[in-house]
Amino acid sequence: MTALQHVTVTVNGITYERSVDPRLSLVDFLRHELHLTGTHVGCEHGVCGACTIIKDGMAVRSCLLLAVQSDGTNLQTVEGLRNAETGELHPIQQAFIDEHGLQCGFCTPGFLMSTLELLADNPSPTDQEIKDALDGNLCRCTGYQSIIKSVRLAAAKTSGGKLAGTHGSA
Amino acid sequence: MKPAPFDYYAPETLEQAVALLEKLENEDVDAKIIAGGQSLMPMLNLRMARPDALVDLGKIKTLDYIRQENGTIVIGAMTSKRAAEDSTLLRDRQPLLHAATGHIGHRQIRNQGTVGGSFAHADPAAEYGAVAQALGMEMVVVGPDGERIIPADEFYLSFLTTDIDATEVLTEVRAPIMPDNTGWAFQEVCRRKGDLAMAGTAVTLRLEAGSCAEVVIAVFGVNATAARLPEAEQVVNGQAPGEAIFAQAGEAAAAALDEPIADVHATADYRRSLIATLVKRCLAEAVERCA
Amino acid sequence: MTSTIPKLPQDMPVTSPRYVGKEVKRIEDPGLVTGRTEFIDNLKLPGMAHAAILRTPHPHARIIRVDASAAEQLPGVVAVLTGEDIKRWCNVGATSPEGWGSTPMAVEKVRFVGEPVAAVAAISRYVAEDALELIEVEYELLEAVTNPEEAQAPNAPKLFEHNASNVILDRNYTWGDVDRVFAEADHVYTEKFRWNRVGANPMETSGCVCQWDVVNNSLTCYGSYQTPGFIALGRAASLNLPSNRVKVVAHPHGGSFGGKGGPRGTDIAALLSRKADGKPVKYIEDRVEYLLAGAGQSWDRYYQASLAVKADGTLVGLKVNLVDDQGAGAEGYGTISAAKPLAAFTGCYTIEAAQYDLKLVATNRAPTYPYRGYGPPPHNFVLESMVDIAARDLGMDAAQIRRMNYIAPDQFPYTIPSGNEYDSGRYEVVLDKVIAMANYREMRELQVKARTEGRLLGIGIVNTVEPGVFDWNAYSTVGVPGVGVPEGVKVSIDILGQITVTVGFALEGQGQYTLAAQLVADYFGVEMESVRVTYASTDIAPPHFGHGGSRLGVAISGAIMGACNKIEEKFRLVSAALMQCEPEQIELMDGHLRVKGMPGAEMHIAQVAGTMLGRSDLLPPGMEPCPEASFVWTAPDRNEPDEQGRCKSYLTAANACHIAMVEVDRDTGVTDVLKYFIVDDCGTRLNPATVEGQIQGGVAQGVGAVLYEEYVYAADGQPLVSLFSDYLLPGIHEVPMTEKGALETPSPVTPLGAKGCGEGAIHTTPATIMCAINDAIHPLGIQITETPASPNRLWQLLQEVR
Repeated sequence: MTALQHVTVTVNGITYERSVDPRLSLVDFLRHELHLTGTHVGCEHGVCGACTIIKDGMAVRSCLLLAVQSDGTNLQTVEGLRNAETGELHPIQQAFIDEHGLQCGFCTPGFLMSTLELLADNPSPTDQEIKDALDGNLCRCTGYQSIIKSVRLAAAKTSGGKLAGTHGSA
Repeated sequence: MKPAPFDYYAPETLEQAVALLEKLENEDVDAKIIAGGQSLMPMLNLRMARPDALVDLGKIKTLDYIRQENGTIVIGAMTSKRAAEDSTLLRDRQPLLHAATGHIGHRQIRNQGTVGGSFAHADPAAEYGAVAQALGMEMVVVGPDGERIIPADEFYLSFLTTDIDATEVLTEVRAPIMPDNTGWAFQEVCRRKGDLAMAGTAVTLRLEAGSCAEVVIAVFGVNATAARLPEAEQVVNGQAPGEAIFAQAGEAAAAALDEPIADVHATADYRRSLIATLVKRCLAEAVERCA
Repeated sequence: MTSTIPKLPQDMPVTSPRYVGKEVKRIEDPGLVTGRTEFIDNLKLPGMAHAAILRTPHPHARIIRVDASAAEQLPGVVAVLTGEDIKRWCNVGATSPEGWGSTPMAVEKVRFVGEPVAAVAAISRYVAEDALELIEVEYELLEAVTNPEEAQAPNAPKLFEHNASNVILDRNYTWGDVDRVFAEADHVYTEKFRWNRVGANPMETSGCVCQWDVVNNSLTCYGSYQTPGFIALGRAASLNLPSNRVKVVAHPHGGSFGGKGGPRGTDIAALLSRKADGKPVKYIEDRVEYLLAGAGQSWDRYYQASLAVKADGTLVGLKVNLVDDQGAGAEGYGTISAAKPLAAFTGCYTIEAAQYDLKLVATNRAPTYPYRGYGPPPHNFVLESMVDIAARDLGMDAAQIRRMNYIAPDQFPYTIPSGNEYDSGRYEVVLDKVIAMANYREMRELQVKARTEGRLLGIGIVNTVEPGVFDWNAYSTVGVPGVGVPEGVKVSIDILGQITVTVGFALEGQGQYTLAAQLVADYFGVEMESVRVTYASTDIAPPHFGHGGSRLGVAISGAIMGACNKIEEKFRLVSAALMQCEPEQIELMDGHLRVKGMPGAEMHIAQVAGTMLGRSDLLPPGMEPCPEASFVWTAPDRNEPDEQGRCKSYLTAANACHIAMVEVDRDTGVTDVLKYFIVDDCGTRLNPATVEGQIQGGVAQGVGAVLYEEYVYAADGQPLVSLFSDYLLPGIHEVPMTEKGALETPSPVTPLGAKGCGEGAIHTTPATIMCAINDAIHPLGIQITETPASPNRLWQLLQEVR
């Protein structure tokens, strides 16, 4: 048994301290240690994007990170999107519902997090920019058309007002 | 699909990292450096890579920069590919390296993956390999005996293998600023956007008195390492640009390749043919840019 | 009975439907967009162990010895399962035809790479995988047969020694006077086609948590099951349990498209739990396992087809010879996808005679499983390619030859040569609509211009029939007997008038929980928020099948209408007694039981339900105090097939016409889909937004099958694809954004007029794109007849004419 490593990480505004096996992937850490099961595992080799989360403001694949690599970082997962106090969904979540941007919904948390980063950087993306930002996320159900519509709607709803950024827990 | 066990170290300075690597080497521990980990992590998950120890460079904060120094762009090895993609300095002064960056994987990969990691991993299909060869880049490594500068043509040894010693760390890559009046092009053919390229080409050239000059052609994705193809460059140098001469250069490039890689996506012959096409097209695109 | 089942949305007992037929937001979505929906890997039971499976690297080998002693000693290991346990506890899985099944883990020999040979349950998946590395397996390698030709060679090694050969099924179907039709035809076109293996690949792999009650000898399986009842029965058979001792709890799952469930993984996890004295055991298949050996490979086909055509372009006869590589046995019902084309064998056309030679062969590739569309995607690729071959030879436009051969609207119900009856359709209207939408004439002008520039621009125009609402009778001819597929629901109204619908299937992505709520809300004139849809496990759910065969939307419409109608009848009796009139005078409208012709004399359904539950003294004599009803629906008027497989199988026949424009790069062989248009007629669209989602999703999978995806095997039987970097699901750049139009020709035979609509696009898209590519390259004197039309494959063809 290799030595456990100490990790301090902030997820959705809450700071956790844990000792972990160095080989534990970040997505397994989030799901099984922190019980944040909204981030999904689709391929574990960095192709499908289902496990996308935000790390220090950037969308990353949590299956391609070790939990130990997240030490000292600030993470956001799908659980952090909804406003827990008001119960209100994030505009991106609502847009995906409004435009039927999901079917089975397994890939959806990954798409939402990639979209979060996109709209924080670029509040009014073109369709090409939407595609470029989301081409690392695979969906087997929708054929993507409704996803593009959802992102457009989310952008429209949030333009003018500042979208809750990817930095910090917003 | 879970990694085999390993020990983990996260040195906070370059000196600590080098000392650690030397110690592990002396103890005969199979240690592997992890930077962004975007190539290493799949191999760990698949247990195709099973090092005894991982040395994570993520806590070393001094290797994250993109700067202009004299006529050179210098990039810290731990700079994310995303930072390179977003760098206006790179876009304006070294557009070939900048353009190639945009072809690497997907945004999430570029956010976490590092510039240095891609060079050090030396995947035959890595875009940076061809850029390094085309631009004559230099890699700076630091080991127990201090700093060493390795030119691109000595850096890549073979499939996934570089000249970096087990006790050394890649700290910086250096590319010359693209001279004015230089045309360049970077193209690749992938099954899907963001996939590893089946073949790719980088070209730079100048037009002097209506003729092509200083033509550089480098290819990747086809052989164990990216390479410049002087046989193809010679075809174009001193010639007036034109479809026929570019096609001829493409054929020369294809002929000059070692037996290409074959996999489920592309046979060796197909890869060879893609190089002929890409060289032809890149030459035309580069000439356009000269204008 | 004085009320009837609504045949159209406007027949619902509301002034006008507020939900049915509208783009209703899905009730499934809030849980999904917040990451709260309980997919199986979220489930954690007390004391749960985690399983990993050791899989063989050999395509064909005898197992000499398995030594798991070191694994058993590894700290953290809870149980190790080997072939010895399987021999003791497990039966060979039932197959159709019989005799082509395996145990969930190999006992004496392995027949495909990735077949399980041992398994471990441990405190974590990490430790379980460590333990797998300590298991030693000694093999005697056997010669592998890796394609049907090798498998049928004399003296070929046999996969299943008890069978006479590797041929699972070999039979001929002849419908009509095929010989005469072919003899009298002016032209007979013959071509060979190859459709390479593709598969479902939902974003979530299969997974389960199994717990064996070692005291009461019963089993509970929680998992990502598409068809829970079917899985429960299968486990009872394979694990030697009475069928009422297996309880399956289906969890919401991340897509299925045919193969979701993983019977082998469930059996293995169940037996690990049994061996661990009843500790729950979780097994989550990883992506490599899925790609190598999961229930996700389909359609590995070699075709030869002949089309008989008159000089004027009339299509008169079709012969199809199919050799289907089923892989290592028939465990995955790959056989039935070879039979499904009988339901729409001759497509949209009035072809009078047809023949189907079907040979199913076992090889040392992974067993094949169902995938969305079942058999028609490859079949339509063959049929529609043949139509284009005829059109080109006759100098006819691709649209024109199709138009002149359509079944006309007044010919419905129309029985095709292979026996199925199409309920309705207006094919020419669909064609005209999509031609107008695409501006087809202008597309052809663009093509002419492109050709003069030396560009390879092609247009594909393809129409198909989508058989909807499957019935088992369709598959009787390949060994799956039965008529009818019961699907039940229970509708309950509580004392406060809130309504619950109980169903036997879990969330899968198609939005049927929303549909259930739409239907009930409109039937009883309440808000959708008042309707809750809840899942019942197999031990308590009404008889059910679940998702599959473009059936569930129609089936639950039927079941819900039936259950609501039963409640309405009860309410009529109760309200008549309360309002002192005859039941015949009562009508349900807008959520009220009203006395006809007496304005103001009415009771809300909540009042009636409340009275039933709280005031038994006021009920008419004999009335059960039960404001709920179950109804189990199956397609009406289905029959047993005759000796040529002819029967009324699929209830509905939706249809669609797609037009695609592609450009092939002459140097690289890369195909770019430039434009894509669709008009689809699947009858009444109960929720147009979800129908559009089904269509676009089918396009994506069709694009994958025809341009990107392929399970490649080496000549020695080794699979070369085990990663998502090699099995290429199309991404957001690769799937064309389509322009869609709708025609609604309501089905006369279903509740509300809806037709099955889940598979039409994957039936049509591969053929459309292949036809477009061939339209682009045929001036060079070449055509592509093998899928996928990968850049390398097209380049190879283009090389021949350089």
